[in-house]
Amino acid sequence: MYGILIALGVLILFTIIAYNRFIMLRNMADKAFSTIDVMAKKRYDLIPNLVAAVQKYMEHERGTLTDITAMRARAMQGNLSPDERVQLENQITRSLGNIQVAVENYPELKASENFRQLQASLNEVEEQLSASRRAYNAAVIDYNNAVQMFPSNVFALVFQFKSRALLETPENERQNVDVKKLFNN
Amino acid sequence: MKSLQEFESFYNQTLFREMEVLDARRKRVMSRLMSIIGFTATGMVLSILSAVYFVDPARDLHFVLIFAGPVVLLLLGLLFWGIWARDKNFVADFKKELIERIIHFISPDLSYQPANFIGVDSFERSRLFMTNIDRYNGDDYVFGKIDKTQFWFSEVKAEYKTTNSKGQTQWHTIFKGLFFVADFNKHFEGSTVVLPNRLGRGALARVLQKVNLSRREKLVKLEDPEFNKYFVVYGDDQIESRYVLSPSLMQRLTDFRKKHGSPLHISFVSSFLFLAIGYTKDLFEPSYFKSLTHFETVKPYFEDISLAVGIVEDLNLNTRIWTKQ
Repeated sequence: MYGILIALGVLILFTIIAYNRFIMLRNMADKAFSTIDVMAKKRYDLIPNLVAAVQKYMEHERGTLTDITAMRARAMQGNLSPDERVQLENQITRSLGNIQVAVENYPELKASENFRQLQASLNEVEEQLSASRRAYNAAVIDYNNAVQMFPSNVFALVFQFKSRALLETPENERQNVDVKKLFNN
Repeated sequence: MKSLQEFESFYNQTLFREMEVLDARRKRVMSRLMSIIGFTATGMVLSILSAVYFVDPARDLHFVLIFAGPVVLLLLGLLFWGIWARDKNFVADFKKELIERIIHFISPDLSYQPANFIGVDSFERSRLFMTNIDRYNGDDYVFGKIDKTQFWFSEVKAEYKTTNSKGQTQWHTIFKGLFFVADFNKHFEGSTVVLPNRLGRGALARVLQKVNLSRREKLVKLEDPEFNKYFVVYGDDQIESRYVLSPSLMQRLTDFRKKHGSPLHISFVSSFLFLAIGYTKDLFEPSYFKSLTHFETVKPYFEDISLAVGIVEDLNLNTRIWTKQ
């Protein structure tokens, strides 16, 4: 009789520990994800400033500037699926990178203190964004390991914890930016 | 940064003549030391031999010659060393004429204070070594600015003591070597500590690394496998640690670790970088047994200083594209 009670007690204890571990891992991933969100919003705040600072000089790149303003508006509306959101963020990263490269053609703009400060803020946000993306992926790997590995996967099945997808590195971080192509179409 | 070839020609053209003067002093000290040792040793041997062969053991003179004689000779030898043979200013002049010259050759913007060292509060602030320090000292303080980065380093030695059941005190080294501090190129609040990975990368190693009771920082798992082979990282904040340790900095730290070849302790605390490189030898000290007119004797001093000053470039600290200027 006592044997059964002890076995049951141990089982309940294990279940509680496993459940709490899933919650902890999921919360860590969520926390990392919310930082990505915070950084993305900081970046949205910088875009109008950037556009305002460069449009006086960048006559030829007017199209790109309109595009990035439109992308920002779409991202801020907030009714996007996570996948669409990730894609849009990657596009914004790409456009911002391209604008910063195009600035090389405008020495006057490049030298202005206002622009330099803006550029530093943008680099800062990008670096933070990349850090939170990496932190999110690390947290998701821990979480996914718990979901997929034995014996914790048994509890994951019982409590319906599902694997999450990793964030991929945006295209432009892997390949060099082709500025000409961007500004010619 | 100056190359070894550039330093060799600087040595041949400028330093060599001054080193000849310094080396003559070294040789004089050595020859005086040798004659003191020679006279004292011969005197002691003669004293003992004469006691054994010529004096009756029952007489008082026997005792004087066999025990008191050698002791008096030894004391005389030490006295002569102290007032006649020793060159009191040799170490100071060596530092002024060689070490300081090398430092200014590497960069004229650097300053050197031979007797000064990085304070214990800076050392503790680095959060690299969590053992309580009972004795701390150092020397050879170098500071300055290269391009946009302010930095300072010195040799330090930190120890703690234990007392055994017999009441004897023993001193143990926590760290001995070069301690380097620089203004980091990114702004951050918390601390990220990068320690040598002594456990490898297995599953068991991960579990042991995770349980680190001595510090408040938590294990940070990074994605660069080669970096993880050499280092294990603890941080206050998972995201901030990754902000500090960007993929390119991880690569640079790995390269620096390979270049230096021995364990490194690195930390990032409230916008400062701390780096501790352990050495068994005393840094920037002369040796009486090596000739300063040989380039091979002078070369290690240049290499040690270059390694320290080179950290700024090796870790790319002059790239200031973020909000911190």
